[in-house]
Amino acid sequence: MFMVNLSKTKTPLIKSVLAACALNLFSGFAQASSHREAPMIANDPLADNTDLYAFRSPDDPNKVTLIAAYIPAEIAFGGPNYHSFGENIRYEVHVDNNAAIVGDEITYRFTFTKVNQDPTTFFNIRLGQQNLKTTYTCEKSTDGGINFTTIIANGIVPPPNIGARSIENPTVGLGTTYESLITSSIATASSGETVYCGPADDPFFVDLGGIFDLGDSPRQGGAKVRDGLASFNTHVICIQVPINMLQKNGMPVSAAANILDADFVIGVWASASRPATQTLVANGGAPTNAGAWVQVSRLGMPLTNEAVIPIGNKDKWNAMTPYMDLDSLAVFGNYFYNPELALYMDDSQFGGAVPAMAGLRVQANSLGAYNFRNGGDGLNGLVGNPALVGTALDPAIFGTLLLPGAGKPRSVDLWPIFHTGVPNMAPYQLATGKAGNPLAAGKPFINNFLPNGGDMLRLNMAVPVTPRNDPAFSSLGLVQAAVLGLTDPTYNGSTALQFIPNMDGFPNGRRLEDDVTRIELQAVGGVVLAAVGLWYDDYTVGAANPVTNLLINTLQYSTGVEANDTTFKAAFPYVQTPWRGTEVGM
Amino acid sequence: MKNLIKSLCVSAITLVGSQAAMASSHREAPMIANDPLADNTDLYAFRSPDDPNTVTLIASYVPFQIAHGGPNYFSFGENIRYEVHVENNGVAGDDITYRFTFTKVNQDPTTFFNIRLGKENLKTSYICEKSVNGGAFTTVATGNVAPPNIGARSIEGPAGLNTPYNTLWDNTITTATSGEKIFCGPSDDPFFVDLAGVFDLGDLPRQSGMSKDGLKCLNVSTIAIQVPIASLQKNGQPVSTAVNILDSDFIIGVWASTSRQTIRTLNTNGTTSYSGPFVQVSRIGMPLTNEAIIPIGMKDEWNSRTPYNENPAMEGYFTNPELGLYMDNSLFGGAVPAMAPLRIQRNSLQSFDFGNTHDGLWPIRASNGGVGTALDTNLFGNYLLRQGQPRSVDLLPIFYTGVPNLAPYQLATGKGGNPLAVGKPFINNFLPIFGDMLRLNMAVPPTPRNSPDFSSLGLVQAAVLGLTNPLYNTTTNLDTIPNMDGFPNGRRLEDDVTRIELQAVSGVVLAAIGLWYDDYTAGGPNPVTPNLISVLSYNTGVSANDTTFRTGFPFVQTPWRGTGACSGKPYNYTQPAILAPTPSTVGITGLATSAVKIGAYPNPFANITAIKYHVATKGNVAIYLYDATGRMVKTILNESKIAGDYTVNVDASALPSGSYVARAIMGTSSETIKIVKN
Repeated sequence: MFMVNLSKTKTPLIKSVLAACALNLFSGFAQASSHREAPMIANDPLADNTDLYAFRSPDDPNKVTLIAAYIPAEIAFGGPNYHSFGENIRYEVHVDNNAAIVGDEITYRFTFTKVNQDPTTFFNIRLGQQNLKTTYTCEKSTDGGINFTTIIANGIVPPPNIGARSIENPTVGLGTTYESLITSSIATASSGETVYCGPADDPFFVDLGGIFDLGDSPRQGGAKVRDGLASFNTHVICIQVPINMLQKNGMPVSAAANILDADFVIGVWASASRPATQTLVANGGAPTNAGAWVQVSRLGMPLTNEAVIPIGNKDKWNAMTPYMDLDSLAVFGNYFYNPELALYMDDSQFGGAVPAMAGLRVQANSLGAYNFRNGGDGLNGLVGNPALVGTALDPAIFGTLLLPGAGKPRSVDLWPIFHTGVPNMAPYQLATGKAGNPLAAGKPFINNFLPNGGDMLRLNMAVPVTPRNDPAFSSLGLVQAAVLGLTDPTYNGSTALQFIPNMDGFPNGRRLEDDVTRIELQAVGGVVLAAVGLWYDDYTVGAANPVTNLLINTLQYSTGVEANDTTFKAAFPYVQTPWRGTEVGM
Repeated sequence: MKNLIKSLCVSAITLVGSQAAMASSHREAPMIANDPLADNTDLYAFRSPDDPNTVTLIASYVPFQIAHGGPNYFSFGENIRYEVHVENNGVAGDDITYRFTFTKVNQDPTTFFNIRLGKENLKTSYICEKSVNGGAFTTVATGNVAPPNIGARSIEGPAGLNTPYNTLWDNTITTATSGEKIFCGPSDDPFFVDLAGVFDLGDLPRQSGMSKDGLKCLNVSTIAIQVPIASLQKNGQPVSTAVNILDSDFIIGVWASTSRQTIRTLNTNGTTSYSGPFVQVSRIGMPLTNEAIIPIGMKDEWNSRTPYNENPAMEGYFTNPELGLYMDNSLFGGAVPAMAPLRIQRNSLQSFDFGNTHDGLWPIRASNGGVGTALDTNLFGNYLLRQGQPRSVDLLPIFYTGVPNLAPYQLATGKGGNPLAVGKPFINNFLPIFGDMLRLNMAVPPTPRNSPDFSSLGLVQAAVLGLTNPLYNTTTNLDTIPNMDGFPNGRRLEDDVTRIELQAVSGVVLAAIGLWYDDYTAGGPNPVTPNLISVLSYNTGVSANDTTFRTGFPFVQTPWRGTGACSGKPYNYTQPAILAPTPSTVGITGLATSAVKIGAYPNPFANITAIKYHVATKGNVAIYLYDATGRMVKTILNESKIAGDYTVNVDASALPSGSYVARAIMGTSSETIKIVKN
């Protein structure tokens, strides 16, 4: 009924009048993506998978770079036994490129070994010798993790960046520069990938102290915002892979039909596993490990297990693979359909108790009809409406996953963003050209649809790279691309598929720079719904300009920590050299 | 040399009193570095300054806790035995053991926040059991662990626990049925040390750049126990019965540990099971033993042992310490410029060489010079005198037996130049269990923390005073010298144990008992030579904790707050003003058919007025309050309502007087009313 009204309403393409004010507010500011995020893994830092990135390489666009980070909040001066990867742990990076086949198409497995070159000292490095010297084996499986082939043997992990005496000093230390240690540890796998495993600056940024003090992000009352991961290191596994090796049919990116070619979508996730049984021995000797490998940590989309899954189910979530998520929908689905964070963006719930998020207000009455607040029905009232025919919400196309029933309002946006990716179909196109009807065809801006139902970081590898030094580059990622597609006359004059800067940004993959905390909070605040034409409550149906104050509030929302505390490198492995023990601290 | 030392070298003393540090046992061994919950980082034992009839024992666990480590903040772990052990009678085996085990519950498993609406997740409580004389453990206390000090919203705020943190913290102090005061909870890490410098090949103090306290701003999980001395003394005697301040019957040895069950099984549903007997995975007695004395190849084994079953092979790390290599110009001394002021006696009294692998006092044995001293082979000489193991006379007993009040372990004061003669007593913490423990003579009076004489140099400072201060250096009488209650006679929170131990490795204790530095000529007038002054002046650059200590139990300071100055790199950020919802543009017709009507009474009003509104059909109603400039100052209401008449009270007490507009919005209609606050 409402759809009928809309189709009669003539809404012009959105004018750029208000674009300027919205856009200029976008630069400037962070949350640990999955640092100590679940009770059990918080107590096992070596196996704690903290972040995952997947992006088309800016300096080599025929390749995609995958970065998995482990071991949270490493203090650079954490001697005498500095942080490194652990033994008896399988660190894995998984790629799915074909939703029709359950399971990984490619699995990279890293295992680490430590040796003491001089067991007679308590120092980590002395006289050219290094203790806890770490090497790795990288194995690859292309048959769903059944058979593995070693593609790197004796890969080198650089030593901890202790200080000038231990590293550069030729008499007492290693007599080399730290940069050369990093460079010389970059390996080329027998299968062609470029690989780095070692310490790095933690590329993530977030005001941990503020956000976990009941959502005080940005901090209120004049307090400074703080990057809780500043000056900390982490251990990264970086893999640069030719796109044709990731594409399901071995095609190079030059073969893509267009920049949103559905055949170029990959889903990436990472994990850590330990043997089921560890037995301590009485004399302090190495524990024995036995039994099947059990997954203890995983990561796909940032912040899922940090701020979406509640504490009671975090450990279980870490133990599951994405391929098990769909079967657990009865337990985990509701955390996305009715997310806890949305309670804090809703004046009828706890919105008043979280003043920092006052700029984020979930649509309760979008287009005068749709309530996306927790417990609301969202678009569920459209079930059976002929208007759905041919859209992604058509049960004949994707079944009932997107509209599973009443009282699950975010089944149309948050759940698919995390679990299926978003197809280039109505309603998942920008409102540009929709003439007021969100279910109409609009301007394409994303296609990372890989409908396997599991939490993964999904990247369409055909989307061109936004240069990091381009003035249009934005840490707001796809949200920025949506803003441009709605408001910039270069893009908002037609529904033609165009490359809009930052279409290669989160949640289409994840770049190191992407401010995923801000983007996800905006997404919970309904920004994706708005982008596809389900405007905020203060938009009057039929009015010329949907860029209302509530939309501006959402777009302006920022946690205040919008960028990493150091730069990124222009080339592989992109993450920055680890902080030196003697150069940080207070 | 026959003269008692004169005070002409008081200048040395003033150099000694202030400044510099190393994590005592933080991430010190490869295996335990990967099991932070079970990592025992420090141990303290001191006579309570505010209650000298009691001794306070403090064991710290879980290193490097960043205060903002949410969403799952740091705490003690489950399935771990945290134990504090006391030995008091010289017979191997604990005489008292305190065992703490912790349990966590989620009061609200539906949130990812740690604290919300008065509920706390991972809320931790404990049971304290006590065993006496190796007997069965009985529960003497149950208690709560204070929550993490997350921030003002979680702790003091109405959406949090609504209680000041200090109240929450103080409320967790409990009294055991056996009389001890107990605190288990988060605290500031009381230790201080330039970790980055010391582990960059001994660059302590740093030779370029500022020294930094690597434990600054970090928290730790603390177990503090305050025990009446009569409960610790082997015969149940109160301290008032001590015959003197070095009474041998008042010595305790303290150590702490953690144990885990041997078998950990990870289950595929995200849970973990534990089974099997408990195995010790971490221990600490003397600070820095496993950090800077035991080499990496033996550290894990050291953690698995007890003071009652030490591996004798490890004694070699004390009798020829690795650190000694860096204080000896014939070895690696030249490669560690930071420690240049520390040079071990290679030719003390032109006779004795304490360089690694040399003989130290071993020649005395051949001349039977140890008769009548602790070095007498009929007493302890076979243990203390070892050929090629020069530090068997000082470092080994300091860590493994304690030091008796017998020659040669008395100050040179009154010895007339003979180090083996009777001198001035300064320590007696001799408890000959051949194992690493923190040994405390409880009869030594506490030095008030606010006394000008109080020094973080502990017993080294007492020795300096006993040698050079005319109040003490004229007789061999047993005097109470300030800081005799300091490390290594027990350990106070303030004691700069890194500095003291580095000085000890470089021979300061040998010098104190008359085995002077190489630049003193035997028989010369003044043994306070430049080399001695150099050692006494040595300082790591970090000599005190980064915050204060409390004057009462548990003495450690409340933990750093997760939102405070320690919670990350600050940025200036000004949040944009929150814009009021765009008013409806539909116009008059909308109002004419308004689905919502609004009124207010009283109007004008003082602080509170009631807004009445009528809803025509079911839907979402929002009412906002704007000031005269159009700025939204309050959301009065935003929720779904069925048709009917409603009243909502508006508390405007926080707003200035003036005119306001309340706007009710429902769908595409809205209605406004002007209200005035007087």
